[in-house]
Amino acid sequence: MKRMYSDKLHILIFLLPALILFCGVLIAPIGASAYYSLFNWDGLGPKAFIGLSNYKELFTSNSIGFLKALRNSLLLAGLSVFLQLPLALALALTLGRKIKGERLFLSVYFMPVLISTVVIGQLWLKIYNPDYGILNVFLRSVGLESWTKIWLGTKETALWAVFVPTLWQYVGYHMLLLYAGVKSVPVELREAAMLDGASDRQVNRYIVLPYIKPIIRISVIFAVTGSLKSFDLIYVLTNGGPLHATEVPSTLMISMLFLRNRYGMGSTIAVLLIVLCFGFALLISAIFREEE
Amino acid sequence: MKKILALVLSLCMVFALVACGGGTTTEQPATPATPAAPATTTPATPATPAEPATPAAPQTTLTMWCIATESDANRPGYEKAIAEFEANHPDIKIEWEAFENESYKTKIKAAMRDPDTLPDIFFTWSGAFLGDFANAGTVYCLDEAYKPFSGQLPEVMLSNSTYGGKHYAVPLTYNIVALFANMDLLAQAGWDHVPQTYEDLTACCDALVAKGIVPFGCAGKETWCVTEYLEPIIEKTIGYEELNQIFAGQATWNDPAIATAVTTFQDMINKGYFDPNGMALGNDEVKANFIAGKTAFYQNGSWNCGEVNDQVANAQVALFPVMDASKATYGQVIGGPSDSLAVSAYSKQADVAAAAAFELGRGICHYCYLAGAGLPAWTPDYDTSEVKPLVSAVADIVAKSDGMVLFGDTAMSADPANTYLDYVSQVYGCQIDGAGFVAGLTADLG
Repeated sequence: MKRMYSDKLHILIFLLPALILFCGVLIAPIGASAYYSLFNWDGLGPKAFIGLSNYKELFTSNSIGFLKALRNSLLLAGLSVFLQLPLALALALTLGRKIKGERLFLSVYFMPVLISTVVIGQLWLKIYNPDYGILNVFLRSVGLESWTKIWLGTKETALWAVFVPTLWQYVGYHMLLLYAGVKSVPVELREAAMLDGASDRQVNRYIVLPYIKPIIRISVIFAVTGSLKSFDLIYVLTNGGPLHATEVPSTLMISMLFLRNRYGMGSTIAVLLIVLCFGFALLISAIFREEE
Repeated sequence: MKKILALVLSLCMVFALVACGGGTTTEQPATPATPAAPATTTPATPATPAEPATPAAPQTTLTMWCIATESDANRPGYEKAIAEFEANHPDIKIEWEAFENESYKTKIKAAMRDPDTLPDIFFTWSGAFLGDFANAGTVYCLDEAYKPFSGQLPEVMLSNSTYGGKHYAVPLTYNIVALFANMDLLAQAGWDHVPQTYEDLTACCDALVAKGIVPFGCAGKETWCVTEYLEPIIEKTIGYEELNQIFAGQATWNDPAIATAVTTFQDMINKGYFDPNGMALGNDEVKANFIAGKTAFYQNGSWNCGEVNDQVANAQVALFPVMDASKATYGQVIGGPSDSLAVSAYSKQADVAAAAAFELGRGICHYCYLAGAGLPAWTPDYDTSEVKPLVSAVADIVAKSDGMVLFGDTAMSADPANTYLDYVSQVYGCQIDGAGFVAGLTADLG
């Protein structure tokens, strides 16, 4: 056995099929995207090599609006980390205390994750409908007519209106991750702390949270990279509109690739998304490592 | 080592999640836009579908994509035409799928880059939209397949889908931008006819607003719907010839009269003539509001004639009034034959598909015309006495028309068309004024 492990040829032969699959399915498309990002190409005709011009244009062109799209994504990432995750953590800590109906609440909070994003989008489109949507109907019924808005059609409100269902949808996902962490805290640790007179809040603060820090880190990485990649719900709700108010890099990429036939520019956005997601994943890991 | 491995794996996972957008390659077509072999199927008469004596199992399956979704006015026409085609050709089965208009544009362009996913026959808009595909050699040339049908389909109807002297699509119907009016609502405001001048139109709108009736609905969520308002106003201000030249890239946007037209449109918005909720609505919702009697006017494609005719008790159709009589006349219209069927150059049975596309096109044209979903690009050889009154009214307008401008987003190729749509969207949201529209488009498109 030892001899076999030391035989590099054997190792290579066994790894080769998976490696080919891995490179073909994952690495090659990334390489191709990076390659196409160096061209002015409509995806159909001949390509013209333009070096890094697409990257330059992306950051300098007002008409493309990449920086605004990126800002929207980062705003969503911030809200995910500072609003969605604390809420998910609070739910996980509450449910982790073996409250009555724990299973039921778990299922209920997790349900939005299971529903198709398109269905959720349609549901929230109805909620936000300026005419018959439940939100405006409710505001009118309680005498707050002046608060009614064209939620998805006004530049000022559309971004926030899109963020609400986006955050709502994945609270249950992060809650479940964190709940698993909370449940893995050894009972004897909790009991020892409580025997020493620690309150629930103190147990959570000094025992549970440090224990589940690796899971919190994973949640933060998922929340941030997920926000940078957010696409489907925004596409259904506003498709980046009105007037690009809800544009994010992914919707911009689709617009460049398939509406404007700018395959090179679309690939450039794809490459930047990859770099950003990877960069943020590293940064978050580094921050957590620093704390440890 | 473990750290490096974990790093590489994380990198790959993150990359895999975001890299789906790119990286496909396009093979050359097996039969790159070569003329088709003579059709293997014989043209059938649409009005009298033949019942096969002994039902045979289909030997050929043709796939087709279109935009005739359940809510689309053309849907019944497609269903009848396909059923009729299959009845006439028991050896051919049509497997068809319908997609929503906007998402279809994405889907078909994505498929063009991966030709194996293209269906045999696909719906397309003519003009620059199809031109990009034809120039790339992904569309089958229909010159040979057209010959048996040339007596029924005037060649002029193929002009928008002819590139380098070759025909690449089968036109279905042709449409213009029409102004639909709910006469019952107009009557409440004291009007018994559709206003024919801009002064009358504003007076009518003022009267409607005073009565608490919203004059117009316009779907801001789908910018092509905004162009259905803006383009006629521009055309009625600068004339169809100049607008045609601008869309073709042969004239500049830098014309103060265009700024005036945009200002006119925005004046109408600011005076409350448009449903303020429109910015958040799609076309289906805006049309539903008009049909439900919530708005008095609805300016959109003439393919809506059938629906409006059947569902609005007292409707009339007209054109947007002339703004500058020295440059435009009432009869000049936005529209033309655009909706078409094309055949993939990568189809393994392109000759059969080409013949089928013509027969299907003829059938779809026939049934959509009778259903009021457009005017016939094909010469009718059937009883047209039951054509709906609104369709006849549009046909009269077109018969008297002395100029046509193809829809801007169809006439221009993808990138400039979307730049143009961006500016149109900003106009509707009142983010830029007429001068800003002209300056922006002049800077970006010339």
